[in-house]
Formats: sequence, structure tokens, C-alpha cells
Amino acid sequence: MRPSQKPTPIDAFPTPTSHTQAETEAVLLKHTLDNGDAKPVLEKNAHLQFLIRNFVQGFPQRYTSQDASQPWLLCWILQSFSVLQVGMDPNNKQRSIDTIMEWQHPDGGFGGGPGQSAHLLPTYAAVCALAIVGRPGPNGGWDQIDRTKMYNFFMSVKQPDGSFLVAEHAEVDVRGIYCLLVTATLLDILTPELVEGTASFIASCQTYEGGFSSSSQPYFGPGPTLLDSPRPALGEAHGGYTYCALASWILLQPFLNASTGPKPTVNTKNLVRWLVQMQGTEIELGGFKGRTNKLVDGCYSWWVGGSFALLESIGVNVNHNHDTNDPAKAKPDAEESWDDVDDDLFNRKALQEYILFAGQHPAGGLRDKPPKNADAYHTMYCLAGLSSAQHRVIQSPARRAELARSWTSSANDNPLREDIFLHSLSWVEEEGTSKIIGGAANRVNATHPLFNLTVTHAEGIMGHFYKQTIPPKSFRAPGPAS
Amino acid sequence: MPSASSSTPKDEPKTLFSERPEWADVQALEQYEISNPLAPIFYSEEYKDATGYFRAIVKKGEMSERVMELTEFIIRHNPAHYTVWQYRYKTLLALQSPLEAEIKLMDELAVKFLKTYQVWHHRRLLLLLQRDSSNSFSAAAKELAFVAQSLKADEKNYHTWSHRQWVLSQFDHEDLCASELDFVDDMLNHDVRNNSAWHHRFFVVFQSGVREGEEDRARVVKRELTYTKQNISLAPNNPSAWNYLRGVLDYSKMPYAQLTSFVNLYAVPTDSDVIDIVDLDNPPPSKDAQLPCVAALEFLADIYEKRGKDDEEYGTTAAVEVYFPSFLHFLESNELILSKQVWKSLAHEHDTIRQKYWEYRIREALVNA
Ligand SMILES: [Zn+2]
Repeated sequence: MRPSQKPTPIDAFPTPTSHTQAETEAVLLKHTLDNGDAKPVLEKNAHLQFLIRNFVQGFPQRYTSQDASQPWLLCWILQSFSVLQVGMDPNNKQRSIDTIMEWQHPDGGFGGGPGQSAHLLPTYAAVCALAIVGRPGPNGGWDQIDRTKMYNFFMSVKQPDGSFLVAEHAEVDVRGIYCLLVTATLLDILTPELVEGTASFIASCQTYEGGFSSSSQPYFGPGPTLLDSPRPALGEAHGGYTYCALASWILLQPFLNASTGPKPTVNTKNLVRWLVQMQGTEIELGGFKGRTNKLVDGCYSWWVGGSFALLESIGVNVNHNHDTNDPAKAKPDAEESWDDVDDDLFNRKALQEYILFAGQHPAGGLRDKPPKNADAYHTMYCLAGLSSAQHRVIQSPARRAELARSWTSSANDNPLREDIFLHSLSWVEEEGTSKIIGGAANRVNATHPLFNLTVTHAEGIMGHFYKQTIPPKSFRAPGPAS
Repeated sequence: MPSASSSTPKDEPKTLFSERPEWADVQALEQYEISNPLAPIFYSEEYKDATGYFRAIVKKGEMSERVMELTEFIIRHNPAHYTVWQYRYKTLLALQSPLEAEIKLMDELAVKFLKTYQVWHHRRLLLLLQRDSSNSFSAAAKELAFVAQSLKADEKNYHTWSHRQWVLSQFDHEDLCASELDFVDDMLNHDVRNNSAWHHRFFVVFQSGVREGEEDRARVVKRELTYTKQNISLAPNNPSAWNYLRGVLDYSKMPYAQLTSFVNLYAVPTDSDVIDIVDLDNPPPSKDAQLPCVAALEFLADIYEKRGKDDEEYGTTAAVEVYFPSFLHFLESNELILSKQVWKSLAHEHDTIRQKYWEYRIREALVNA
């Protein structure tokens, strides 16, 4: 046992929660002991084999439960390839495009499979998959997306309180809002009309713990309510919903900045506190959990770990040592081990160790935790989480200025188009801040913190739909040199 | 989030829809028009058969009794097939069938497929259909009983808890909420670390109107603080209870400093012979408590930090500046020094995984001072 791997204290008061917690700690501890002091290796080849098997041969029968999530299955595989720095041949790209286009609904949006109703979640997955494999022109996918009908579909599920049903007669939740906002941003169909009231709805989902819940609901019960806004959150603070709410909040910033009326707010201090509390301790190998008093799980490496990259965009001063306006203030200190650099609010090293030691299935693919099986979902989100722990991708004023210089506006422009475009694509990796545990061979690609696509893929599809030429990055992004 | 799991119902008739004479008039539809889609799923024969008929039904827009049978069959194989649920709901409305049979079926399916969004959402739709009817109260009451039962099998199920909150929000009956606090109390007595139950308590006490007997809000807040402190004393290292405590104080805009004497008991190393006095406002830690407790240290640092800021706001430092300018630096940072000490002990000893965060708190406090 490493010196700091103390069991979670249970105060001699066992309950079901402390039982499962102790069981999990025993399993995880064994995973560090088994590995001894060996350098953790990202088994890229084994994961690739796992992904290729799913991609080409398909999924076994137990995946029938994902029959209404076929775009997700493909999106997870394709984005895993991207994170693993694997390109695809034209033939497989075309087959992917042809598969994806079968999911487009005749009335707009994409469904979970051919003939399935349009739904916000598979719409996001299909469009992201097209960002990776698609191209302009005939049969390239991009120009075969019916954006007018998609917009109509979005408006058809819009609710008076600013939220959206994920599909006709279906539920409201912030995952759907995130999916809609990303899709509309990528495809240049994000309008004030579409997102009227949405930021307020998002804000209402924050709970007293600081994270966000799935949804909120006006209270119709008896008596006067005590809340300023009578909209209790439904469900407790949760990692997946928190990421979706926070990313949505940031995607909505061009609208918030432009609005003159009273603006909704989120409690940033409580949010930061909640996010850091989700990191498990040393005995949990520093993996993330999704709720207070629940177990660590590899997929929260992205949902919670990936949320940290978004904090600077809402005014959290993550790194007092760097000043983007004055690169000279960046503190180069070769003597300092990187562990001591104030580079982020969570333990990036520990998160990488959780994924490398516990997240990898020996037979390929990544997972929730041992001894569970690998699956496509956890493979993607463990890899994305690993990426967010290796790289710091943040909004850069210099990149924004560069994009702004080459922006060309078109006639009858939505005045916010330019801001949306710059706001979305000004993300760059901070120079000198990548930290790869286990050596350079473990490096994976950086992903865009808002979209979970590579910046290159986000630039490709947005450049096309906004009719812009993306200028190459011509400067070194500031950051603490190392 | 839970991953994919399979479910193939065992005891059911094996007859394929394609072999049933009553379906002979329908031509099943293939899923894909292209011949070689990527990442295909290997369906069972029955599932493939049934979904082929479902696609055909949707295409012709048929809404009939046999559609209810077909959609139930598919749902039993894949309860996450939202299009099937959606079509079933529309068919139910079109047929204007009595809801009893559907509700009964849902009671069975919710138990089977507890972790599926669609199962719970369908229940909501059914409840909404009953909301304006004469039996809306009994429908909601039954639903709460059903949810309570489901939570026994899966005490932290997200859908189940948010469903319960939804029911309480939607149905306007004082009596529905009457025993809700007892319900939460039962759940917490079973597992005081169940964060879902703590969240539900917050919903019930602070976010769902004022119930009879709870009009005196100051008393309610005091009751909640006492309740939480007592639960902390049983098992001090329980972040759920501390988060609730913070939530109550934040909500009622009360200073954390009000709990200083309580928190102090938990922020020092275990010392067996300190307290024997019964103090209901400050219940001491149980004798096996593992102290100091991280959450108490954090709480204490927050108290110090706030005091440091208040000193400035209320003019202490301004006065010092006028009369004793050379002491300014010393006084200004007095409380901050204390919070800094606590944050340092968290960063380097008690909560090392969050070292970066505690260092951030120190920097922030200095920047904002
Ligand atoms: Zn997971």
C-alpha cells in the first residue's frame, strides 16, 4: 500500500454505502499492488483491436439494449479512433457516412437507427460522427443534412420554460439541451429564438451541492413557496448532467453577453467545490465519481474531469501563475516537478493512473472499474477523460483575435454568428502544459472541451457551415513553460 | 453511468410475428437500405422479426390493439427503444383504452427495468392523463407507494428519486406530502450516507412549498440543523450530511460561524475523555469517530475566511488604517492565517488528493483579501 492510500473512514458505523465503498477500495487497491511500481502503459493496440472488432464485425446480442442508440455506438468508436490518433481510409469513411445518413429522419433530426423517431441525443451523435468522417459535396454527408428541417424539429420540442423534450412525448433533461446546442452550434443554426429562456432553465438545475441535476420542474404544490424561483431540481447533483449543464451554459454565453435584461446566474464557487469533491482519494486511485457517496467510475473521467477545462471560461482563475496577456509572467521553473505546478484544480496525475491501472480491460477496451467488462461507451469516455488529464485546452484571446481577423460576414447575418463561431473555435492547447503519465507513448490527442471532438474536426465542420476559411495557428499559446 | 446490459425475456411464446396469421397482411421492413452498415448489432431472431413489423406499422400509421401487443414485445426485449414507447403512447391515446391494464403492465416493467429512462417517463405520461380526473389523488398516492417499494431494491436510483420529486411537484395535495419527511427519515436510518435521500430531504423541506405545521420557518431551519448535526455525530465522515448542512445555511443565508462550536468538535484529533456533557446544539462525535474530519476542517477554514472578509467590510481594517497603519498587514491577515493553516493541513495531510484545490483556495483568499 502506498503511504497515502488510507481507506475511507467509516467511523465504526457501517451502512450499505460504506460496504460497497470498502469492497471497491479492496479491488482497486489490488490493482495498484498488482502493478507494483511498473510504468503504466496505455494498451493502444488492444483498444484499437477492440474498437475495430465493434466497428467492422459489429456488436454482440447484449447490445440490443443500445438498438435505439446506434449513432452513439458509431460516434464512440469514431471519436475513440480520433483520440487514439488513428485516421481512417476513404472506404471506411464512406461506409460510415452512408450508415449515418440512414438515421436521418425525413422530418428533420436523426433517430437512434433507421426508421426511428428524431431524438436530440442521436442527433448529436450522428452530427459528431459526420464531423469526423464527413465532407462537403455529394455523398459527403455534410450537405445532405437537412438543416431547415432539423431546426424545425428543434423548435417542435422546445418548451415554454426554455427547456427541450429529447423527442416528441419524451422527457426533458439537460443532456438533450447540451446535444441540441452542440449540434446547432456546429451546423450554424443557433438562433436567439431557439435558445430563449434556455440559460435560465440550465441555471435552475443547479442543486445546493453545487453540481447540476437532470432537470427542474415548477412546483405546483400547496401553500406559498419559499424559493425565489419555484423550480426545484429533479434529482441530485450528478457528473453527467453537470458536464452537460456547464458546457451548455458556456455555449449560451454569446446570448447571455448580448442580452440586456436580468441574467440568470450559476454559483461558480459551489460548482468548483462539488467538482473537486468528486475525485476519489488515493485508495480509489484518483478516479472520479458521479455523485456524492457513490463509487468511482471511468466514464466520469470525462464528465467530471472534462468539466475542469470549462471553468476558466466562466471566470474561475484556475492558474494564477499564468497571465495570458503577458507571457513573460509565465513562470518557467525547470527545477519544480510538474506535480507542484498550479496547473489545474484536480489531480491530473491520479486521474491518469486510475484510467491506466483500473480502466483498461486486459482483453482490450476500457471500462467503469474492475472486474467489469469493457464497452464502447466507457472506452470513449475513459479515453476522452485521459485526454483531458493529459492536455489543457482553454479559450485563447490570441486565437480568437486571429480567427476574428479572417472572419467574413455574409448578407443578413444573425449578429451573433461571428461571436458564436469565435467563441467555439478559440480553444487551443496551452503550450507546455501537457502531462503524460507513463511516457510519451501514452499520449492521446487533445479534444475540444465543449464538443468532445478534436479541434481539427470541429474547425472542419464549422468552417464549412459558417463558410469561413480557418487560419492556421501562428503563435505559441501562452502558458507556464516547462 | 451504467453500461449496456442484455435482457432476453425467458418465458414467452416463441412464435415469430412472421409466422402469425393475424399479421399476414403486413410486410415486415428491413432496417437498412444499404447492404453493409458499419457497427451492426447481432439481434436475436425474435427481436429482428418484431422490429421489422414495427417499422412497417409506423410506416402505415396503424394504431390498433395488435400494435399494443407488438410494442410490448419489443419493449420487453429492449426497454430503451424510445420510438416504440412513443408509438405505444400514441396508440393508447388513439384507442382510448382504459388505463388500468397499462398501469398494471408498467408496475411489472418498472421493477424489471428500473434503470431505463423510458420506463419512468411512460409512467409520467400515464399520471398526467389522470391528473385532472377525480382519482388523481389516489393515482399519485399509489405512485408514491410504488416508488417507495422500488427504492428498496435500488436505494440510489436516479430516475426513481427524480420521479418521486416530479410526482410531488405535479400533484396538488397537502396529504401527499404529509408523510414525506418520515419517508426520508426511514431511508436515512437505513443508510445515513444515501445522498439521494439527503437531496430529497432538501426538496421536501425547502423546495416544495410550506406544509401545515411548518409555517414557522426559523423553527424548521433549526430543526434541520439539529437533525443534521445529530446525523453527523453518528458518522462524522459523511460528505452527504455536511453538504446538506451547508445547503441549509446557504439557503437560509445564515453565517457558517454560527456552527463554530459544533464544527470545532470534529476538527480536532480524536480525544476520548473530552465530552460527557449532553449538549443538543453541539452533539459530540461518537467515540469511534475518525477525527479530524476533512469536511469539518474545510468548514472551519470557510468560517475563518469569511471572518477575515467581514472584518474588512465592517470597517475594522479601515479604523486600523487610520489609527495604527503599521498594524494593518498583521490584522488584515489574522483570520486568513488561520484559514490558510487549515487549508495547508488539508493539502498536505488530510486530503492530499485535492492538494491543488486547497492551494487554489489559499491563492483566492489572498487575491480577494
Ligand atoms: Zn460509467
